[in-house]
Amino acid sequence: MMKLAHQTLLRIGIWAALALCLVLGDGLREGAGTASAQDVHVSGPLAGADAVKKLRLWRKNRLHVEPFFAFTIGDEYARSLIVGGELRFHFVDWFGIGGWGGYSVGKLDTNLTKEIQAKGVTRDANRLDLPSRESYPDQIARLNWWSGVEAHFMPFRGKLAMFQKVFFDADLDFFVGAAFVGVEERADTEIRRDSLTTPQYCVPLGASTPQDPGCLDSQQARSSRTVIAPSFGVSFNAFFRDFLGIALRWRGIPFKYNTSGTDNNDDGQIDSADRLRQFNSMFTVGLIFVLPPKMKTTD
Amino acid sequence: MGAGVLRGEGQRPMRDFGGIALLIAALLMAFPMAAQAQMEFSLDEVEEENAKPAKESKSQGDLIEELAAGDETDSGPTEPAPQREETAEEIYAVQQIYALRLKRLELAPSAAFTLNDPYLKHYGLGFAVNYWFTNVLAVGANFIWYDWGSNPLERNTSFVPRIQDQFRLSVPINDWQFGLWVNFTYVPFYGKFKVRKKIFQWDAYLIGGVGLMRTQPIPVFDTNRSFDWQTNVAFNVGAGLRIFLTRYLTFFTEFRAYMWPDQFENTQVAPGAGRSDSSTWLQSGSSFVANTSIQIGFTLFLPIKFEYRLPK
Repeated sequence: MMKLAHQTLLRIGIWAALALCLVLGDGLREGAGTASAQDVHVSGPLAGADAVKKLRLWRKNRLHVEPFFAFTIGDEYARSLIVGGELRFHFVDWFGIGGWGGYSVGKLDTNLTKEIQAKGVTRDANRLDLPSRESYPDQIARLNWWSGVEAHFMPFRGKLAMFQKVFFDADLDFFVGAAFVGVEERADTEIRRDSLTTPQYCVPLGASTPQDPGCLDSQQARSSRTVIAPSFGVSFNAFFRDFLGIALRWRGIPFKYNTSGTDNNDDGQIDSADRLRQFNSMFTVGLIFVLPPKMKTTD
Repeated sequence: MGAGVLRGEGQRPMRDFGGIALLIAALLMAFPMAAQAQMEFSLDEVEEENAKPAKESKSQGDLIEELAAGDETDSGPTEPAPQREETAEEIYAVQQIYALRLKRLELAPSAAFTLNDPYLKHYGLGFAVNYWFTNVLAVGANFIWYDWGSNPLERNTSFVPRIQDQFRLSVPINDWQFGLWVNFTYVPFYGKFKVRKKIFQWDAYLIGGVGLMRTQPIPVFDTNRSFDWQTNVAFNVGAGLRIFLTRYLTFFTEFRAYMWPDQFENTQVAPGAGRSDSSTWLQSGSSFVANTSIQIGFTLFLPIKFEYRLPK
């Protein structure tokens, strides 16, 4: 079997990327040189005419109100089910700004969490990580609420046909902004033992009391904070009426938090140093209501 | 030279493109010489066409008649002679489809990145072949190779040792060799966008099909075990975006979900002589695996050139 080292793979990848750039660059240059249909030169009475007549303005100077349901994807230990809303105003048909917010109305533990709860093993070496397997779902982090402000760009739009009978306008919405997320994690604590023969106990960071034998209480202790993180994503929007549409959206919000409630840097403490970067993402289904309800068209 | 209606199977693509195709047809009727990629419209042609009353056109549907008819209240004198000077129709021009796919072969090398496997990193190189038997529908196959000879346990993410250390648990993991699928591709919508002075054509497509996926359990719970590659029936669905750089070269990115029932290593080790019994090494049931991945690549359409033709 052919074996390729990681560096070899990397080198092949770089060369492939360079070759791709050359090919694509050549394609672009050729397109420019031959003035193909990408450079449309129209002479005669159509010169200077509008590119599109009677263009339906779904967004320009209109407000989009969108209640949505969302769920997080790719979570290690628990998924969030979110209900929320989005409000967006568009200055032109291809650009708008808006805000969104949601609340986690439910959680779904992943199969891994259920496996840990059923089969996890607690020993002295991992007592801080897993004080009790039965209570493990109580120590994992939760994302309780979400909000954000974003700028939206809609460079692609077109028409979608279903079964060659039903036609509706559709566009892609790329957005970027900042998100604010309410994170609830396992509270800071550290594990100690007085001698090799005495049982382990947890105490709050930097304190000597109260002592929590076996760290069972610390497994339940929680702390909350607000995380500010970048957010970005893409949405597919389809419009069925002048005032009504549907949005299918993917949104990514990367930030650090301690998803598992464990001592990830192995220093005997649960603290901010145990937070790991997570690429949090969610899928959203929303119903778009457009105001004013009457749509305008271009000349 | 003819213009943007396809010969033979031209009727079906026209229905696919709905009103746009009707507008193209109207344009063809109005400007039979306007068949080149760069649309040239001479004033003589326009005047010649203007001399004909709009109501006499029999080639368009209702939409086109409505567009071409203009304002009824401004119909002007009924005498035919002055019409040549007084008719001022609005002319709607629709650019020809930039790149036809009909009866062309599409070759598409790509790189595949798995999004949702927290335990093992998978690097895939793919190749797809599609034949477009209408301008919006293609049948083809795609192949992705994942097995680059490296020890799969060296491709563990940091997640696996964390689970082992923190919870004293091991996770059954399967490695992948390759996948092969037969697919249908459908292009429901397309358009164009402008970057500075360049106009790029794009289309979005839906894809799905069935095939096979070759996988192999990695011995984790008992290193004395060894497993062969096993073939699983697999299917996939996805959606993609293609941007035309030229009439034959495109850049594309697509989201694909490859799904199959897979058999993992048994987490229980049989005692005594049963340990060496290979029939106990696999879990009794199958687990449903969904590999969601992003693929990025480019496509080459063959033949490189094509011609628009008038229907006979």
